[in-house]
Amino acid sequence: MDTYRPLPGTPIQELDTPCLMVDLDAVENNFSAVADMFRDSSAKMRQHTKNIKSPRLARMQIDYGGTVGGVCTAKLAEAEVMVEGGVTDVLIANQVADREKIIRLCALVRRADVKICVDSQKNVLDISEIATAQGVEIGVAIEVDTSMGRAGVRSKEEGVALAKLADSLPGIKFLGVMSHQHLEEFTGNENRLLTAMGYYEICLGVRKAIEEAGIQASFISSGETFSYDAAIQTGEPIEVEGGTYALMGTRYSYMEEFEVANKILSTVISRPRPGVVIGDVGTRAASCTPVDPTVENMPGVTVDRILDNHIVLNTDDANELKVGDKFVLLPDYQDMLVNRWDQYVAVRKGFVEEVWDIPGRGCYH
Amino acid sequence: MERPIFKNIGTAAEDLDPSSLVVDIGALEANIATMHSYFEALDVKLRPHVDSHLCPAIAHMQLGASGTVAGIGTTTLGQAETFVQAGFTDVFVTNVVVSAQKIARLCALSRQAKMTITVDNQTNVRDLSASAVQKGVTLNVAIDVDTSLHRFGVGPGGPAVELAKTIVNAESLEFAGLTTYEGKMFEKDTEAIATESRKAIQQVLDTRQDIEKLGIDVEMVSVGGTCNYEIAAGMSGVTEVPAGTYALMDGRYRSHCPQFQPAAHILGIVVSTPEDGIAIMDAGGKTIGADIGQPTVENIPGVTVRSLSAEHGNLVLSEEGVSVGDKVWVLPWDVGLAFNLHDYAQVVRDGRLESVWDLPARGRYR
Repeated sequence: MDTYRPLPGTPIQELDTPCLMVDLDAVENNFSAVADMFRDSSAKMRQHTKNIKSPRLARMQIDYGGTVGGVCTAKLAEAEVMVEGGVTDVLIANQVADREKIIRLCALVRRADVKICVDSQKNVLDISEIATAQGVEIGVAIEVDTSMGRAGVRSKEEGVALAKLADSLPGIKFLGVMSHQHLEEFTGNENRLLTAMGYYEICLGVRKAIEEAGIQASFISSGETFSYDAAIQTGEPIEVEGGTYALMGTRYSYMEEFEVANKILSTVISRPRPGVVIGDVGTRAASCTPVDPTVENMPGVTVDRILDNHIVLNTDDANELKVGDKFVLLPDYQDMLVNRWDQYVAVRKGFVEEVWDIPGRGCYH
Repeated sequence: MERPIFKNIGTAAEDLDPSSLVVDIGALEANIATMHSYFEALDVKLRPHVDSHLCPAIAHMQLGASGTVAGIGTTTLGQAETFVQAGFTDVFVTNVVVSAQKIARLCALSRQAKMTITVDNQTNVRDLSASAVQKGVTLNVAIDVDTSLHRFGVGPGGPAVELAKTIVNAESLEFAGLTTYEGKMFEKDTEAIATESRKAIQQVLDTRQDIEKLGIDVEMVSVGGTCNYEIAAGMSGVTEVPAGTYALMDGRYRSHCPQFQPAAHILGIVVSTPEDGIAIMDAGGKTIGADIGQPTVENIPGVTVRSLSAEHGNLVLSEEGVSVGDKVWVLPWDVGLAFNLHDYAQVVRDGRLESVWDLPARGRYR
C-alpha cells in the first residue's frame, strides 16, 4: 500500500512519480454537466462508484445535484465503504451470491438503504431465507441483459417469473429492474442515441410485463455515461448508472461535455537513443491496455509501447522531454487504473489542493 | 484496501471469502526447493526478484533457503523501502533512479541496507555521486546493458565500457557490475528462448571482458530469469540470476517450466448462469489482472474464459452441472500483476487456511 501525501500548494512539477492526479477543474465540470442535464427531468443520476472508489467524490456529485441522492457499487465491500463514508443509499448493481456475503449485506441494510440485483431463483431463495433469519428486508431489482451478454434475465417471461417469486417471499422487498449497457463502437451521435434508446426499451419492456402481471416495479436503474442523456428522452424515472463521466478516459472523447480528470504524472528516466524517451510508469500502475494512453499537450510525442513498469515514447525533438522532465498521460479508461492506487492527488491549475485516500480500492469481496 | 472476511485458521480453502488471492504453501515450498537446490551446488547464485509477489513473508522463505546471494531484487525504490523495513539488507533495484527526490531516498536507504541500482548515462552517474558525497554514503552502481529489450540501458561493448570508467572514477560510487533484462521470453518457444538468451547474455559477458581488460573488476553479472535460469547459470562469468516467477508460477511461464507448480490462484464464485453453457463469475480484470493475457480456470473440466470485464469473468461451459454459488479456481496469466491488485494473500496448506500474509509493497510504484 502506498501512502503518498504531498503538501497542498506543492507544484505538480515537484511531485514524486508516477502519480495519479485528479484535475479538480475537470471533475467539477463533469459533475456540473450531470447536475445541469438532470435538473428538471424525472430521470436522475445514480453515480456508479466502481470507477472512483471514493465516498468523497461520490458525495461531491450528490452535492452538485442531478442525482437520486445515492450511488451504485459493483461489490458489497464497496457498498460498505460508501456507507462508512456517509452515503446513505446504495444499489449494488450486481449479484451477491455467496451466503456469507448475504449475511454481511443484512448487517449493512440495518444502517443504510442498500439494495441488490438478482437474476436467478436460487439467489432469490437464499436472500429471502437469510434476510428472514436476520430479521431484515432487502430490496431487490431484477437484472435484465440488454447488451452485455453477461448476467441478467434474457426474456420478459424470465423476468416476470423471477419478479413473482421475489414478490411472494418474506425478507425481500421487490423494487423493479436494472440493466447495464455497453456501446461497442461510437459511430456518430444519432446512432449512439438510437442504440441507447433500444437498450432502455428492452429494460422498460421487462418492467412493463412485470407490472402487467400485477406487481409494482417502480425502480428502474439503467444506462451508462454514453447513454445518460437518452434516459431523459424515455420520459421514465430512470436512475442512470453513469460512472465513467466523473474522471473520464480518452475512449469516451465523443462525450464532449466531459473532460478527462484523472491523469498520470510521469518522469523521463532515460533518453537511451535519439528519438526515444523512457518514462517511469507502466501497465502495473496504469493498466492502459488494450489502448495506449496519450501524452497531454505534446502533439509531437507518441506512445511506442507500454511495459510492466515503463513507457516508451517517441519524439523527433531532442530538446523535448529530457531526463528528469515530467509529462502527463491521459488514460484511455480510468476504471482499472484507479483500482491500482491508494491515493488521489487532487490538483488545480498546476498545484496540489488536497490528497484523498481511495478506500474502495481492492474491494472485491 | 481489500476487505475480505478473515476466516479461522483451518478453514477449508474453498470456504475462503471470494474473490481472494490464495497461495498454496506446499507448492510454494516445492518450487523454492526445486530452484534453490539447483543453485546450491553452483558458483552462480540466485537473487530472488520480489516484484512478482511484493510479499516479505515469501522473500524470507526464499532467502532462508540455500543457493542465494543473500539479497533480493526489486523493480522500484518504493518496493526496496518496504523490503528493507521488513529486514532485508541487500537490495538490487533493477531500475534507474534519476530524480533528486528519489536519489535522496536512495541515499537514506543505503544507510540501512546495501543498495545497488542501475545506470545508463553519465549525467545520472554524476548526480548519484554528488548526492552520495553530500550524504556521506556509498552507492553500488551497475550498468544496464541493452541487449534485446530496447527500453533504457546502454549498448554493449564501447558505450558500457565508457560508462564503467566514469563510475569507477566517481566519488562515493562502487562499480557493482553488469545486468540486462532479456525481455518477454515467455512469448517465445523453447528453442528461441535458448538461442536468444545466449545471444543476449553473451553480449554482457563480452562487455565484462572489455571492462576487465582495463583492470576494472566486474564483481556482478546479474542476468536471466525463471524461464532461462539454467541457460544463464551455464554460462561462465554469470554470477547471479534475478528470478522471481518460479516461486508462485503463472499461466505465462507454466508451459516453459513444468518443474514448477502453480502456487497462486484467485478463488472466484459463480454468481449467474444466465444461459445454457455460460456461467458468470464474480472475479474479473480488477481482481485477476488481464492486461497482457487471459487467465485459465483450473477446477471445472471443459471450461474456457471467454472474456473478463472489470468485475466479472464470462465462462463458456462444455458440460452441465455448474450452478450459482460454485467456487472457481483461476490461474492468473501474470502473477506479478495479480499480486499487485491485492493487499492480502490467504495461505493454505493441504487445502486448509494456515496464514494470511500482507502484501505491503503492493502499489509502491514510486
